[in-house]
Amino acid sequence: MVKKEENDFNQKQADRKAKVKDLIEMGEFYFINQKWDNAIEVLGKAQKMEPNNPDVYYNLGIVYEMKNYLEEAKHMFEKALKIKPDHECSKKHLNKLVGT
Amino acid sequence: MRKFAVIGLGRFGYGVAKTLTEKGCEVLAIDSDEEKVKDVSNFVTHAVQLDATDEDALHHVGIQYVDVAVVSIGENIEASILIVMTLKEMGVKEVVAKAVTPIHGKVLRNIGVSKVVFPERDMAIKIANSLAVPNILEQIELSSEYSIIETTVPENIAGRTLIESGIRDRFGVNVIAVKKRVPTITESGEPDFVEEWNVSPMPEDRLEEGDVLVLLGPNEGLNKLKKG
Repeated sequence: MVKKEENDFNQKQADRKAKVKDLIEMGEFYFINQKWDNAIEVLGKAQKMEPNNPDVYYNLGIVYEMKNYLEEAKHMFEKALKIKPDHECSKKHLNKLVGT
Repeated sequence: MRKFAVIGLGRFGYGVAKTLTEKGCEVLAIDSDEEKVKDVSNFVTHAVQLDATDEDALHHVGIQYVDVAVVSIGENIEASILIVMTLKEMGVKEVVAKAVTPIHGKVLRNIGVSKVVFPERDMAIKIANSLAVPNILEQIELSSEYSIIETTVPENIAGRTLIESGIRDRFGVNVIAVKKRVPTITESGEPDFVEEWNVSPMPEDRLEEGDVLVLLGPNEGLNKLKKG
């Protein structure tokens, strides 16, 4: 019985990860097509589902940067780096924004 | 290639020395603190530990041959003034100096400094401006009447062409460049963007949300445009 519950739990975790990955990909699609608000919407969903995913914050950061919402962008890059200090893309963008 | 000397390697001097080096200039960096000299020694052309109030020591490192000397000693006003006077006497063509108080700045000007900078005051003004009008990214005052500003495209103009926006007719300012950020996917598969400059844009060029405009014009027109 315990084994079954464990399997169900693992399955749910895997499904959640796959869903977040899909949402990030969708966010990237909207980003490339310059649909900033759509990108923020789907990445926001991904953030709620997996609040410790640095890629979600990085993607949100570059969308905010594109919209010139620089404070929000900085905040997102900082969050990504808090979770993954060697997240190079976030580091690069944050360094550029510090001092603006 | 112009030759520079940076005397005093605190935060301001370090920043000046690093930026000049990155721009390909020859930089002679000087400080009395060994650690500070060591910090810059891996990127500047020459880094020397010496007491810059000592004329012989300055002469020995060839300071008289630089085109511009930047004196970034603010805290010790006496030393700052003494060094500037020594540099002028040695025939350094252009001296730029950092000041911490208005009187310090006035004295520096009177002894022949070409440009006096007040880094803290200047940064405070810049920050206050950016807080007061958040969409202004950069402002360069050309005179008391004219400026160049870098600003985001106002919402009511986004999506229109330059001529449709009426920026020139309504505000009397010229758009000298437009910076666009173009989304892309990097070689490693990460989403990112590249910045593309459109200098001297054409009337039919379209302005999009997120674009940055570089505008030149009278402050009155720029202020009106900032307010929308």
